[in-house]
Amino acid sequence: MADRIGTTVDSVDHTRPETLEDASPSLAATRSPRVTGGTPSDEHAVILELSDVNAYYGDFHAVDSVSLPIREKEVTAFIGPSGCGKSTVIRSINRMNDLIPTARIEGAITYHGVDLYAPGVDPVEVRRRIGMVFQKPNPFPKSIYDNVAFGPKISKYSGDMDELVERSLTRAALWDEVKDKLSDSAYALSGGQQQRLCIARAIATSPDVLLMDEPASALDPIATLRIEELMYELKQEYTIVIVTHNMQQAARVSDRTAFFSVDVKEGQRTGRLVEFADTATIFTNPQHDETEDYITGRFG
Amino acid sequence: MESAFDTRHHYDDELDDIRAALVELGSMVAANIRRAGVVVTEGRLNEVDAVIGADRPINARYHDLEEKVFTILALQQPVASDLRFLVAATRILYEMERSGDLAVNIVKQVRRLDGVPTDLRLDGLVLRLSDASARMFDHAVEAVATMNAAIGIGAEQEDEETDTVTGDLFTAVTERQDAIGLEACVALFYIGRFFERIADHGVNIAQHITFAVTGEFPDGDG
Ligand SMILES: Nc1ncnc2c1ncn2[C@@H]1O[C@H](COP(=O)(O)OP(=O)(O)OP(=O)(O)O)[C@@H](O)[C@H]1O
Ligand SMILES: [Mg+2]
Repeated sequence: MADRIGTTVDSVDHTRPETLEDASPSLAATRSPRVTGGTPSDEHAVILELSDVNAYYGDFHAVDSVSLPIREKEVTAFIGPSGCGKSTVIRSINRMNDLIPTARIEGAITYHGVDLYAPGVDPVEVRRRIGMVFQKPNPFPKSIYDNVAFGPKISKYSGDMDELVERSLTRAALWDEVKDKLSDSAYALSGGQQQRLCIARAIATSPDVLLMDEPASALDPIATLRIEELMYELKQEYTIVIVTHNMQQAARVSDRTAFFSVDVKEGQRTGRLVEFADTATIFTNPQHDETEDYITGRFG
Repeated sequence: MESAFDTRHHYDDELDDIRAALVELGSMVAANIRRAGVVVTEGRLNEVDAVIGADRPINARYHDLEEKVFTILALQQPVASDLRFLVAATRILYEMERSGDLAVNIVKQVRRLDGVPTDLRLDGLVLRLSDASARMFDHAVEAVATMNAAIGIGAEQEDEETDTVTGDLFTAVTERQDAIGLEACVALFYIGRFFERIADHGVNIAQHITFAVTGEFPDGDG
């Protein structure tokens, strides 16, 4: 696979992995016991670390100084009012912001200890390892099969493609529903099925992190619960970060929750992280009044 | 921070209604506990039925309130301090209802005994116990009324008075067993135990309020 994305900086700290390639083996070495919703274990290794992340769109300071660790094989939820920068922060994790010309990130985001914004890190490779699922299901205007095979083809996947497509669709809990119509257009699927197809597509490139920005907000309650159930399954293999406006959803699916808020000063609305804790604490005994007001619905 | 509590007026009202109703229920129970105390200490056998009768509206209210709390839990999906308060409320309801039953049990023992033997009453132990127990319970109701976490934190210690007097009463009853007879001994043990239990419920109620307010139970109990 032509996916080596080494940093080219001379004086690197040799105690840390230098490339995403080097970083990967540490995954296998840090297997940890599985825990389920609400009571995460600190034994899960930190896979992503945001340190003092500031986000700008041109002169506009959109997000102020966010620091938080994301642990592997957990679901981390981002919640907060509209405009507090949840999407901006989640997009910064796989360098999706690079695609917005005015967007700029300061601070560091490390993945397995590698700074994702270091010179020489290939954003395309970053996005392969850290996949993204969006609010609106956005399948390509292609067949179901080709939607899933698309990413692997681009990265010149040399294994059995049929097998990979089946495995990805199975993991996304869609296989049984589509196995007899793989050559049908993806557009013929329901919204919930399309979203699971997008998850299958994200999984097909073997990422280890899945970012989901309001993945269920366009779905009906049953399709939503399916996605939630799927997240529960997926976190046994993947690290998941989810943005959601549905607080019950954050409470149901996540192990840890980050609450963001917006400060208005000099006409600018700047987002910041207010509280980050295990989900059970956030929803039973948050430490900040702002969190309490938001999750109990007393904001106005 | 300015309070921007604009979004959930109706919900806030519902929660406040629950709190007010708990205080009302608690006050009804507290009044009956005091009445039971008078029945015991002054031998007012003619008031036994009044105490038993007063427990009926208490039970009715208990069921009504429990249903209201359950409905709010289902419909509002409360979290954080709201959730803690409502969970505390269901427990407090139970503690109050049980305390009401204990007041009834006390007067039933007095009736069975046809009045508490006078020599013990003169010792003032029964009077002290019923007073301490009722005071503890009043204090618990006050904790609910004011959502005061401090009362629950000090409750265990405050309750030592009840425990001490209960112990003294049991010793005194044992020492006088020949004079007052087995039946009176047993009844007095029950009465002592019931007052002590009422005070314990008071302690628990105050501690549930501490939990609702702070998110933590006071040390030494859960
Ligand atoms: N492409 C962009 N160009 C300029 N400003 C942007 C851009 N995207 C977002 N912003 C601004 O950055 C701030 C944070 O936006 P962001 O979309 O991250 O918020 P959010 O928390 O995801 O909100 P929502 O819950 O509505 O999705 C907002 O003030 C928004 O207007
Ligand atoms: Mg967003």
